[in-house]
Formats: sequence, C-alpha cells, structure tokens
Amino acid sequence: MPHLQASAAAVPGSVQHLSFRVREARYALPIELVREIIEYGHVTTVPMMPSFIHGVINLRGNVVPVLDLAARFGMPLSVANKRTCIVIIELTLDEQEQRIGLVVDAVDAVLDIDLASVEPAPPFGAGINTDFIAGMARDERGFTIVLDVRRVLSLDDIRQLSLARQAS
Amino acid sequence: MLNGEQWTQLLLGFIEEASELTQQAEEYLLQLDQSPTDEEALSGLFRAMHTIKGSAGLFSLTPLVSFTHHLENLLMAVRDGAGTLSPALISVLLRCLDEVASMVALIDPQTGELPVDEQHQAQLLATLAEQAQGVPGVKPLAVEPGAEPAAAISGTGGAWHISLRFSADLLRNGFDPAAFVRYLGRLGDISHLALIDDTLPALAELDPESCYLGLEIDLLSDASKTEIEDVFEFIRDFCTLHILPPDSALDDYLQLIQQLPESDARIGQILVSAGLLTENELQAGLTVQASSEAKPALGEVLVSQGVVPPKAVDAALAKQKASREKRVNDAPIRVAAHKLDELINLVGELVISAAGAQLHAQKHGNALCVESTQTVNQHVEQIREVALKMRMIEIGDTFNRFHRVVRDVSQQLGKDIRLDIRGADTELDKSVIDQLADPLTHLVRNAIDHGIENAEQRAAAGKPAQGLLRLNAYHESGMIVIEVSDDGHGLNTARIRDKAIARGLIDAQANLSEHDIQRLIFAAGFSTAEAVSDLSGRGVGMDVVRSAIDALRGSIDIDSVQGQGTTFRIRLPLTLAIIDGFLVSLGDEHLVVPLDLVTECIELDASQLTRCTYGYIELRGKPLPCIDLAAHFGLPPSHTVRRNIVVVNFGRQQAGLIVDHLHGELQTVIKPLGLLFQHLQGISGSTILGSGQIALILDIANLFHTLHHSVEADSRTNQPRPDLTGS
Repeated sequence: MPHLQASAAAVPGSVQHLSFRVREARYALPIELVREIIEYGHVTTVPMMPSFIHGVINLRGNVVPVLDLAARFGMPLSVANKRTCIVIIELTLDEQEQRIGLVVDAVDAVLDIDLASVEPAPPFGAGINTDFIAGMARDERGFTIVLDVRRVLSLDDIRQLSLARQAS
Repeated sequence: MLNGEQWTQLLLGFIEEASELTQQAEEYLLQLDQSPTDEEALSGLFRAMHTIKGSAGLFSLTPLVSFTHHLENLLMAVRDGAGTLSPALISVLLRCLDEVASMVALIDPQTGELPVDEQHQAQLLATLAEQAQGVPGVKPLAVEPGAEPAAAISGTGGAWHISLRFSADLLRNGFDPAAFVRYLGRLGDISHLALIDDTLPALAELDPESCYLGLEIDLLSDASKTEIEDVFEFIRDFCTLHILPPDSALDDYLQLIQQLPESDARIGQILVSAGLLTENELQAGLTVQASSEAKPALGEVLVSQGVVPPKAVDAALAKQKASREKRVNDAPIRVAAHKLDELINLVGELVISAAGAQLHAQKHGNALCVESTQTVNQHVEQIREVALKMRMIEIGDTFNRFHRVVRDVSQQLGKDIRLDIRGADTELDKSVIDQLADPLTHLVRNAIDHGIENAEQRAAAGKPAQGLLRLNAYHESGMIVIEVSDDGHGLNTARIRDKAIARGLIDAQANLSEHDIQRLIFAAGFSTAEAVSDLSGRGVGMDVVRSAIDALRGSIDIDSVQGQGTTFRIRLPLTLAIIDGFLVSLGDEHLVVPLDLVTECIELDASQLTRCTYGYIELRGKPLPCIDLAAHFGLPPSHTVRRNIVVVNFGRQQAGLIVDHLHGELQTVIKPLGLLFQHLQGISGSTILGSGQIALILDIANLFHTLHHSVEADSRTNQPRPDLTGS
C-alpha cells in the first residue's frame, strides 16, 4: 500500500482514522475497527441478498461477508480494478463479534482526525444517506466523510432489505 | 494455601458434580418408585447423598451438609432396617432433592456463600420425619446429627472384635471415619473402642489430608459377620478390616495380634482392657512367637479365618480387580466443552487443508505424492470421526429426566401414566441434546396434559386404565429420529380446521388432507391463550417447538389417529459441525447438498422440462417436482447443455434440484454465514473447498418448506403460480 503512511505518535484529542476512496469521494473510519486490508479476490455470491451484500470470501479459513460500500451508498456496483481493496473490519453487532469486509475503490492514508474539528453532516449534498455520516473532517485536501459504521451495517436495515428481496 | 481463583475453580467443580449427583439421586429414587426393593438403587441414592454431604463439608457449606445429613440418615435407616420407601416418602424425598439442587445452584462460586430458606427446609424435614415414621423399619429421625438412638441389644454373649486400619487416602476420598463408627453403633452397642494413632507423625510432617488412624472396636450385637462387614462396604478399598466373632478361640486373637502392624503388646493390652483376653492368656499366647508377615489383604484374612472358601475369595478378588481395571479404562475425563469445540474446529481446518493438498497432488500428477496425501486423508477422516464422537452423548440421560416430569404432571392431573423409554443408547451431539430438552419437555407435558385421557374416558374408549407415553430414538438414513408418542385420543382435525379458519390461517374452502390439517398446529399464530380453552390446549406453543427444531436444522412431523394416539416425530442431523456433502455447481458457484438427503442423480432431458423455475418430470412413472436452482436463487441463467438433476428426499417429500455439474461427495465443514445472512432462506451455511473457494450449503428442509408455503399461499388465493402449471 504505497499510499498508506503510518503516522507518528497520535496527537492528543485526535483519533486515527483509515481513509479510503469510494468513487470520487473520500471516506474514513476509526482505525481501531480495521483488522487488515486485503487485495480484492474471488467473492462468492450469496443469492437472494440485497445487491450491496456482495458475497463471502475465504479469509484464511474463515468465511467473511463482504459489502460493496458503493452499492450500499446507492451507487452502481463496484467494478474491480487493481487498486480495489477489501477493508476487513471487526465490530460487535447484536452482541457478537463480527468480521466484515468492505469493498473500496482505493485505500488512501491513516489520518489523525481531531474530533473537535469534525463538522456535522450537511442535511443533503454529501452524496450519501446522511444517517451513514458521523461527521465531516477537513484537512488541506478538503473534506473527508467520517462514516458511522454501525449505521452503514445496521442489521435491521439489512434484514428488511433481504426479506424484501426474498419475498419478491 | 489455595488462592481465590483456584478455590472458585474447585467450588465450580463441586457445584457441577453435586448437580450431577442430585440428578442421579433423582433417577435412583424414581427407580425405587418403580421397584421399592431395588437395593442397588437405594445404596446408589445413599452414596450420592453421602458424597454431596462429604464434599459440601470440604467447602464449609454447612446448610447443605446438615440438610443432606438428614436425608442420608433416613436412607441409612431404610437400608439398615430393610424397610422400603413408600410412594409418599418418595414424593417428599423428591422435593428434598429439589431443595438440594436449588441449594447447589444458589452457591456463590466467588464467595462460597449459600443463602438458605430455612423455613422451607424445616418444613420439608418435618414432612420427611412425619412420613418416615409410617415406614416399617425406619427409626424416628435423629434431629441432632450424631445423636443416634441406641439400639436395643437382644443378643447375648461376648462382643465382636473389629480391627480397622484406615488407609491414608480415606479422607481424600471424602469419607469420615467417625461416620462409620456411628453407623456401626446402629448394629449394636459399642462396648469398647480404642484409637490407634501410633503412625501419627509429628505435627510438622503431618499431612492434614491423610488419615493416620486405626480403631479397635468391640461391638455387642447379634448381627451377622456380613452385616458388620457391610457397614464398611464403601471404604473396603480404603481400610484393612479384621473381624473376630464373639468368644473366638484364643489362637484367633493371637493371630490377629500378629497380623496387625502395631506391636503385639499394644494390641494385646487393648484386647485385655476390652475384656476379651485375660492378662495370663495374653502372656501365654505371646510366648508362642510366629513369624510376622506383611499386612494381609482382607481376602486372605477371610480365608485364614475359615469364613469363606479360598476359591470363592479368589474369584471375588479377580472380579473386583477386573471391574476396577475396567473402571480405570472407561473412566470419563471431564473436558471443558470449549476445548472440544476448539479441537473440532481445528479438525475442520485439517479436513479442508488435507483436501487442498490432495487436490494439488492430483493436479501435479506425482503418484507417490498422490498416494501419501490419500493416506493423510484417511487418517484425517479417522480423526474427524473420533473427534466428533467425543461430542456425542447418549440421549438416555435426557429421556430419563422425563420420569420425573411424567410422575409429577400425571399425579397432579390424577392420571396413571407409564413412561416407556426406547433407544436410550442412541448418541447425539451434545449441543443438539442441550437444545432439545425444552421442546421435548413441551411435547411430553402436552401429551400428558391433553393427549392422554383420564381413567373414565379411557375405560369408555375400551383402553387400559394406564396411559402410555413413549419416548423413542433411532437412526434413520443419517438422521436421528426422536419420537414422542401417546395412546391418547389423538388430534381433533375438525376443531383444528375450524380454529385455523377462524384465525385466518386457511381459507374456508381450502381442501386440505388430514395430515396437512394436523400440521397446522405448528403454524405461528395458531396457538394463543384463547386456543387453550377452545382446543383443549392441544397445540399450545407448538410453533415454539417447531422453531426450536428448525434452529437445529431438523424437522418435526405428526402422526395422529383419532382415538388411538399421537406421535410427534423429530428428525435431527447427527452433528452440527461437519456433514457429508454432495458438491454441485451452477455456473461458477458451488453448492453443497447434504449427502444423506441425496437419493440419486439423473441427467436432465431438456425435452422433459420447459425452461421455468419450477416444474416436474416423470421419474419411474411418478411425477417428480423439480426446482431450477439457478433461477430460484436469481443467479445468471445456465448455458450448460447437459444439466443434471439431484434427487433429494426429505421426510416424505421428494424433489429434483436442477444443477449444471455434479462434482461428487466431500466432507463439509460447516462455517456459519454470520449475522448478516441470518434471514437467508434455503442456505444453511457455507464451507471452504480444497481450492479455497467457498461453497454454500443448501438447506433442503427450509427450501421445501418455503416452496410448500408459497404454493399453499397461492392455492389459498386461488391464483395458481404460472411457473407451476407451465410445464
């Protein structure tokens, strides 16, 4: 990952985030959630799921579901190129540790985001559902959208979408 | 000293042991309910209480010790007095066991504290004492531990002389020497008792867990030698016992003196002070010195005393030895369940990587390499089987618990019901059994409550007064089948139908078979509180039972004949971790069909079936419904010219799955798909193939269920699905 710069000691009051690109916009999520970043490989399709649930991959003997972030944001499905990555994150959903892969167009850098300088999301115009946005961080390159991962991966949402898909 | 954590570990071990023992005790008690003279059950029950009491003592759980002490005393009295337990007494004892179980459950493993409902206990004990008085052979309960009533001595003549040398392990095995002396006191009057503490080391060298004591006891009693020996039955392995009958010959006493490890003079003095020998006799005897031998075993003593012929002793000793060896070999080892899971997970990984190695070897074409990977695979297969067997436990324990349920519920309802258990040795994965207990209890209670009629109704129907409830388990084509059947009045299909129509589950005009109507009781929303009165409660919570069985990847079915009885049949997979699968593919995607369900594979004759998702073909003169899996799952349509049909059988249903290619059998390690896919229908999990690719595992039961439902839904609305009539 040539673009991935390990930043020096964390600045007090700031939280390290991994930033990445989906289509033209920059997004970030707290680095403490990120377990690893892998090259985009063969994804097995799981039928009858919402389109953003891309499928499952074999991560060293574990079956890990993969979400297409672009599709989740309502954009067309990602077409893999050589910079496409899967960011493996781990978080607790419904009191269970769950590892999930997120397909992103490219991984950017590790940013120190000062929480005090994070702006709330604008009511519209960010290009994605405002519910998914935890805040907007600004640096010399412009805004980075900090994702609210729990909202993006809301099980209730996914449940309803998959039930709707199966019923059709 | 033990630190807090070790102590907690020990205490947790005790809690587990004690709850198991309580469970066992309950089983023994229920056996006694059936056959009141079963001595083995009685002593088993006694042993269980005794062990709980002993171990509880180690943890200073005083309330538990004193409560079990009362039970132990009563049981000892029954055993001693050759009395029997009346049904009323058994009922009280069952309640007492419940109290023991609840006390055990209440122990705080961190602090070792045990909150007690003293009033409840006192009440129980009072009832127990009251019931115990009515039983012949049982003496009134001693309220204070240790204050045993002195038994009347009817015998005449001298005293038995008993020499006891405890082995160092006695205390470690949870026995209290004093308990045996007290118990001995019930056989007669202990006229003289001398403590032998010669081997007691200096305090610094003393191991507080070792027993260094011996006893010389004189007992005035008309009990037989066997009766006295039986007192020490439990510690036979932990002591050396010499018993001399009253008024034995002088030579016998002298022989005893020589056999005992202590100095001759020491024992001699005890015998003299007990009045068994005079000073003169002793002196005379001691002059005749015989070569002293090593401590003889009990058997040899018996022979030398001429009590038992040598042959019989040899046989008994051999038998004892054999049974002890067997016990060592068969002795179970307690292993934490998560360690076993870890092992099985690793074996799962091993299966996958071995399959991968074999695949690469075959591609490479090196014969030696292929051969050795095959050998590895054979071993892996064996390891897999052994590892899975470790998780398998017999269902008998679960079944036996229902003796209590049946007894309690039928007594409550005033019905006479016999529980018949079959196939108790059928083995099932532990996690499956654990999750099965609740649905089974539900079915059993329902059968007793609503299935089996009361005595008058049974008499009117010409049935025997005693109702029969049967639990049965057996293997059938790679699945475990568990049946709960009763000989009651069966399901009233007319009423179920009315109810279902009232609940809007079916259309009033729907033409359903008897069996379909019976299955309606599993429908969610069928059973409500209101249904209890309307439908005599039959079917209450059946949807809960079904969802519990569904969660185990199993299925449940009913067979009910009105007036003759109902059978619930539960089908379950043997294990949840690894299955034998049959690999097929649809385009690039691989799918695994559980092999047990596959009956045959045939080539699809394209002319037989039009291109639609659902249709049927003719198979040996019968229509076989078929599903085009690719279309069903919304995958890109197949371009394969020659497609295949995998015929699967599930319960009574048969269907064909249309797939592109067949790849053959493989061992499938089930990997759960996780939360994101928890609502996915028709797919139960996934597995990783040797190539590293992921294959999804088909959930045939669910697939059938969904299809059946959608067809039913269509038939109800009288709008036939175009696909189904298209061919």
